[in-house]
Amino acid sequence: MNEALGVATPVLLEPAGPDWKALVAQYGSPLLVLDCDRVRMQYRKLTQALPGVRLHYAIKALPNETMVATLAEEGAAFDIATSGEIAMLEKLFIDAADTIHTHPIKRDQDIKDALRYGCTTFVADNIDELDKLVPYRHRVAVLIRASFPNPAARVDLSRKFGCAIGELPALLAAADARGLHVKGLSFHVGSQVDGSHRHVRAIEACLPFLRERRPGALARMTVLDIGGGFPANYDGSVEDIDAFCAPIREALQAVPEHVEVIAEPGRYLAAPAMTCLTTVVGRAKRGDRMWYYLDDGVYGSFSGQIFDHTHYPLIPLDAEGEPQASVLAGPTCDSVDVIAEDFPVGEMAIGALIVAPMMGAYTAASASEFNSLPKTRVIALAPPASMDEADNVLRLA
Amino acid sequence: MTRNAFTETLYDAYGQRFAIDEVYFEHRTDHQHLMIFHNAKFGRVMALDGVIQTTERDEFFYHEMMAHVPLFAHGNARRVLIIGGGDGGLLREVLKHRSVTHVTQVEIDASVVEMAKTWLPGHSKGAFDDPRFNLVIDDGAAFVANCQEQFDVIMIDSTDPIGPGEVLFTQQFYGHCDRCLAEGGVMVNQNGVPFMQLDEVRKTSQAFRSLFADWHFYGVAVPTYIGGLMTLGWASQTPALRQQSIEVLTRRFEDAAIETRYYTPAVHGGAFALPRFVEEAIGL
Repeated sequence: MNEALGVATPVLLEPAGPDWKALVAQYGSPLLVLDCDRVRMQYRKLTQALPGVRLHYAIKALPNETMVATLAEEGAAFDIATSGEIAMLEKLFIDAADTIHTHPIKRDQDIKDALRYGCTTFVADNIDELDKLVPYRHRVAVLIRASFPNPAARVDLSRKFGCAIGELPALLAAADARGLHVKGLSFHVGSQVDGSHRHVRAIEACLPFLRERRPGALARMTVLDIGGGFPANYDGSVEDIDAFCAPIREALQAVPEHVEVIAEPGRYLAAPAMTCLTTVVGRAKRGDRMWYYLDDGVYGSFSGQIFDHTHYPLIPLDAEGEPQASVLAGPTCDSVDVIAEDFPVGEMAIGALIVAPMMGAYTAASASEFNSLPKTRVIALAPPASMDEADNVLRLA
Repeated sequence: MTRNAFTETLYDAYGQRFAIDEVYFEHRTDHQHLMIFHNAKFGRVMALDGVIQTTERDEFFYHEMMAHVPLFAHGNARRVLIIGGGDGGLLREVLKHRSVTHVTQVEIDASVVEMAKTWLPGHSKGAFDDPRFNLVIDDGAAFVANCQEQFDVIMIDSTDPIGPGEVLFTQQFYGHCDRCLAEGGVMVNQNGVPFMQLDEVRKTSQAFRSLFADWHFYGVAVPTYIGGLMTLGWASQTPALRQQSIEVLTRRFEDAAIETRYYTPAVHGGAFALPRFVEEAIGL
């Protein structure tokens, strides 16, 4: 995977953006800076690109209270996958009516926790999961998740979950036979997908099911969940979200009027909203290369390089001289903890700061505390007023 | 955030909505999320985890039927155990019986009682101060598992079987209750609205069948427990308790001189008649 590593892409930092050095001076390094205004902007852009589609933020991308509160204030709904995420929503007084539970595989306790919270819509993709919902059949509605395999997605979400479209009729019949209310269909074409044609094909494949009236069904389907996959622009190569969504908008024209369309964006909302600030804490010349050791790495905020197969723009603020291919390594003792192998950078002194934008999605979310290194602190810029009292949020002057 | 309506989240496909005229109290405990608000039709409304628990205006339906049916059927109950029932409405009805000399109430969450005293005073109407009353803050299942005392009537005024109330719907728990019942005693419990949750009566009937010489359910239609008739479970080793004649019940009711708004001896007798679909679910 070396060829993809360490591509330093010029990223436009807001001309009047934050003073990164001042933030590090005040709050320490490493530091993750969540810009709530950027969250709002992303939400509004996607809302405009998908008019009439209710956005359910996929909390897993960045399970951060300020992020969730910001989106709640914007009117977002939420996609829950675990009881831990429910606990966060409860703490923030998020109305359970604005949530759906989308994990296709659940334990009984997960179902109970969701119901106790007030979330009554669940996703299933196989008969065992339908059976788990049978004891609660009078209380719940089910979205059946269909799969549309997509090897081109950065993360193919149709391999692990989803019922093949050919098996859908049998699964729907099984749900009907169990007295379960199938409210609609859902799919995930993958995360950070290469284009919206897969969304379009998936929508088209769902249409016959949305139109049909199954004898034995408690009701016709009224929901189509088109999942996520809306790409974040990590390297400047991704088309504008409005252009990306144009074919989806067109495909949705064919969706019957009685069907409510929802989506589950995670990455698109979170990725551009958070910036990682990391500092050179050591350096060494090994062979003909400079190794710079940073205070955050792949066991921490850069864990997305491993789990999410994503590489982030890296902007050294304090490099001097001709750029030389160098290695940027993380702070743990493990040799896999390398952020970039062939990173062209001038000479950096200990204390030099590196700014990594686009680090909102699947970064802090999958960070570990390996080597007993604490997870990187997150501070928020322009948090919602409702978060004033929250002790994990700092209101910056 | 101002909320002007509360929508119950009990069912995905169906629900009731209350206008909120004023929020009196909102609190999250380790176990529960509790809210009390005012509604023009129902007065003070208490919701727990998104589900209506009790309202000022219709609480008497449930509390009178849970208290007076077993107490008048027994005729001389002295010692009563209440599991749950933190709002105090059931306690109020139980203490109307002069035969009752002692009530132990086991509530899992002390704050529920304190909140009810403050915000739902009409439920307990001072009952928490009665010298016959003994409050225990404990898990109901743990309490009966260790309990060495016996009671003439045990009343399980629980929440739904999802969440902390779940242990109060197990065969093991009912077995412990049976052990705590005095000779000639009876236990009653909350079993949901069978039209909406038929599995509840079904499960309870299976557990009762293996433990009690006599068991059944009786009905009460509580307006805010939506979906029609609610069933209360009845379990005893003394079959005669359920067969009291209307004459006997009427005499006891008149002697007790208790004022009621739902309960009458005739309602008591008729309440054990169950709709056919419920009979089928419980294997009758």
